[in-house]
Amino acid sequence: MRQFLSATRSLYLRNLSVIALVLVINWPNAALAQGDGPRFYWKGLNGTNAVPVIGSSLSGNANPMDPSHNVFPGASFEATMAMVGYAKMLPVFKRAGLVSVIMPMGRLSSDVTVGAVNYKSTARGFGDPMLQFSVNIIGPKPIMNIPDMIRYKPKFSVDLLSSLAIPIGEYDNSSPINIGQNRWYGRIGAPIVWQLGAWVPGRRTTLEFLPAVWLFSDNNDFVGKKMHTEPMYQVEAHLTRDFMERLWGSLDVTSYSGGKATIDDVEGNSLNNIGVGGTLGYHINDNMQMNASYSSTINDNNAEDLKMDGFRITLIWGWHKMIEGMQRLKNE
Amino acid sequence: MKKLYLVACIMLSMAQVVSSQSTGVQTGTKRPNIVIILADDMGYSDMGMFGSEIKTPNMDALAMDGVRFTNFYTHATCSPSRSMLLSGVDSHLNGLGNMDEFTAPNQVGKPGYEGNLNLSVTTIPQLLKDAGYHTYMVGKWHMGKSPDKIPAARGFERDFSLLDGAGSYWDMTNFSALTPNSLFTEDGKYLTKLPKKYYATQTYTDKLINFIDADHRDGKPFFAYVAHQAPHDPYHLPRDWRDRHVGQYDYGWDMLRAQRLKRQKELGIVPDSTNLAERMWFVPEYSLLAPASRAVLGRKMELYAGLVENMDFHIGRLVQHLKDIGEYENTVFIVFGDNGAEGNDLAGMIAGTPGTRDYLYFAMKWSQTDINAWGDPGSYVGYGAGWAQVSMTPFGQYKGWLGEGGIRNALIVSGPVNKRKKGSINNGLMSIADIMPTLLDIAGTEYPKSYKGKDLPPLIGKSWKSVLAGESESPRVQQDYLAWEVFGNRAVRQGDWKLRWEFTPLGKSDWELYNVADDPNERKDLAAANPGKLKEMLALWDDYMKKNNVIIPSRSPFEALYDQLPARFPVDAGYPPLINKRQYTPPKELMTTPKQ
Repeated sequence: MRQFLSATRSLYLRNLSVIALVLVINWPNAALAQGDGPRFYWKGLNGTNAVPVIGSSLSGNANPMDPSHNVFPGASFEATMAMVGYAKMLPVFKRAGLVSVIMPMGRLSSDVTVGAVNYKSTARGFGDPMLQFSVNIIGPKPIMNIPDMIRYKPKFSVDLLSSLAIPIGEYDNSSPINIGQNRWYGRIGAPIVWQLGAWVPGRRTTLEFLPAVWLFSDNNDFVGKKMHTEPMYQVEAHLTRDFMERLWGSLDVTSYSGGKATIDDVEGNSLNNIGVGGTLGYHINDNMQMNASYSSTINDNNAEDLKMDGFRITLIWGWHKMIEGMQRLKNE
Repeated sequence: MKKLYLVACIMLSMAQVVSSQSTGVQTGTKRPNIVIILADDMGYSDMGMFGSEIKTPNMDALAMDGVRFTNFYTHATCSPSRSMLLSGVDSHLNGLGNMDEFTAPNQVGKPGYEGNLNLSVTTIPQLLKDAGYHTYMVGKWHMGKSPDKIPAARGFERDFSLLDGAGSYWDMTNFSALTPNSLFTEDGKYLTKLPKKYYATQTYTDKLINFIDADHRDGKPFFAYVAHQAPHDPYHLPRDWRDRHVGQYDYGWDMLRAQRLKRQKELGIVPDSTNLAERMWFVPEYSLLAPASRAVLGRKMELYAGLVENMDFHIGRLVQHLKDIGEYENTVFIVFGDNGAEGNDLAGMIAGTPGTRDYLYFAMKWSQTDINAWGDPGSYVGYGAGWAQVSMTPFGQYKGWLGEGGIRNALIVSGPVNKRKKGSINNGLMSIADIMPTLLDIAGTEYPKSYKGKDLPPLIGKSWKSVLAGESESPRVQQDYLAWEVFGNRAVRQGDWKLRWEFTPLGKSDWELYNVADDPNERKDLAAANPGKLKEMLALWDDYMKKNNVIIPSRSPFEALYDQLPARFPVDAGYPPLINKRQYTPPKELMTTPKQ
């Protein structure tokens, strides 16, 4: 019996190792500056917890903390940001769901002219926390247990996504550039994960899309003025591919359009920009994953075009009570 | 003048006989085609008409068009079985006294232990070719790789063959650092690469259909030996055949064995009094396993089922093709597995120890271990002892061993030679070595005393002619016996009695005696209670050893199992209560909250 169970356990744990890798990479990131990123809407075992820590370094002509990416022609922004959050996976009406919250923080230096007034400033502190909820509407049933996880293949999966930022971040009404945005905003989207070929770690390929629309309330105290922003449309696309069981990469494309801002009846320009980049992801161990990304706008030759590029490092810790318990037993 | 006339008449008669044997057309009666379909490691209960939930409509159709035989014996492993099939001679005389992979030091160089089908015997295809048949082979050969031992040298006019005992279904990858590539022959030439879009079972069927079509117009009958690789591990199968039973086996091998036995009783395969063999003591009770373990282990059985179903699909293609060209009604089909289902860990035998040469080879070639890669090239899946017992329902043990589960196989015979009621069941004592004399009878020829100047060993098989004609119930009389030896395990069967010697712990390293009519699952050793019968059976074993050159091996792959498997103990359902008792629920009226 012991021998058979030992062999079974060995097989079991080898497969669990793969399962655990899948668990930790399912993290929806707030769409700040660089989009959500690849593999963020892969599903995990119900009850999985995750904590991401995301560090970014960005520069350009728009506030990277402001999802509307309001462009200030000729402006210069330099941002060093971090985001920390928490997420949990749970079933919603027999569909896979995810509830998450993320808190951005960081330092933002800017040189910008608004209404003939030049501002040079540095903002620091915490940004607006964002709550996000997603539920799968097309695709496999939720992963309620490990057998479901063993058999899970996304095939063609579509979620319904909604998020909401709460305007409690650091805000100085005398400055046009802040960490917090002094208004409510959020998005509605439909992330898509399309499995191409075999679902075998080391050989997985996905084509991923995230069409979304961002909605903004008015900021009634934008340097003493009122800022109104029209809906902004976002489309992200990622072609991801495993290089090895633990190493993967993706080609990333993000498009923004709309989002025209009007400040006291002075209309700005709509966005019509595309960013391209790449990501490398590595599963450090059964609980931790690291991604490194770079992206840059490409159609940004005009002064009013969004011009931004940045690096991002993401660390995600994921855990599940049962798997942690099995690991403890294994180590005895 | 009278003498001259008599001589002329005799010569004319001989010419007519030869002409009839050569073509059949001139006499207006074509001799039947013969197709042997051999499934590698398929278990006794794995076909639908023998109790399985696996869907095998094509093999089942052959069963319903023919006869099912419930008491058919092969050998316990691949190459000894095949050698006896093709030669009709005991394995210890025909070169496969042991598998080539396990020849013991004291057997090396001894006649009958060459590890291939030796040249002291002739073969079914050779004799049938001489009798005017086209002879075709596709699939696994496993009886020699040198030019004088390949299928083309042993009587097959056309062949597409895997010379090794197993390998990838997708490519030429084999199992060890010293033998990294499988060897194939096609029409007597060694292949340097495989055909495009190769998948073993499909390609074998395609090739055979082409062989049949190429010669169809000449009117000669054909003999086809379809030695499928499936369902031998590694379980490689096309993606769309892998998910036909998802989750179906999560409820485990215990329940499935019970279900198959129930169906076998309903079908009449086994008597109503039959019980299941004891579950192997080292196989856990399935209810104790966690859901994830059940899913992983169940996946293995899912793949096995898909592999059998895929094989059945391609058997159906062959059958349909024969119908399309008008040959089905004139074709004898013989369908069976070559030994018991595989409960041993072949991959572990080869590559089990980290850091060894072959472990590194497996790391390079056979390490696609993710469950979603199972079935792909580079994956190695076998289903293990628990599921092997399911395949061998109701019997105990499996491939390599001489319990009924290692040597009993389901057998189907259909075609024009069968005069028994279609779909009927026969319980006669049959052997794989019987196929040679049976096919010679069907072809209207005889087993010669010598061939090409060499005396031939005697046949040990007995023709099924009278059984198929409905004239008798068994080709054997009560005094006839069957006997086996491989890896040092030994057995004799005569009438309802079986004598068995097997290595500890599956055996006792001593002689055991069973009445397999009353106790088909060999639960009750009667040796101590029947010393007279034991003595009689031992005399038969001595007779067998002498007649067949049996050399008990000085080494065996099973010699150290006593130290690898847990100590054997009876398997009692629900024991121990420690982990099988359910939560006790007190009476509601006596339940309360604690006093503060």
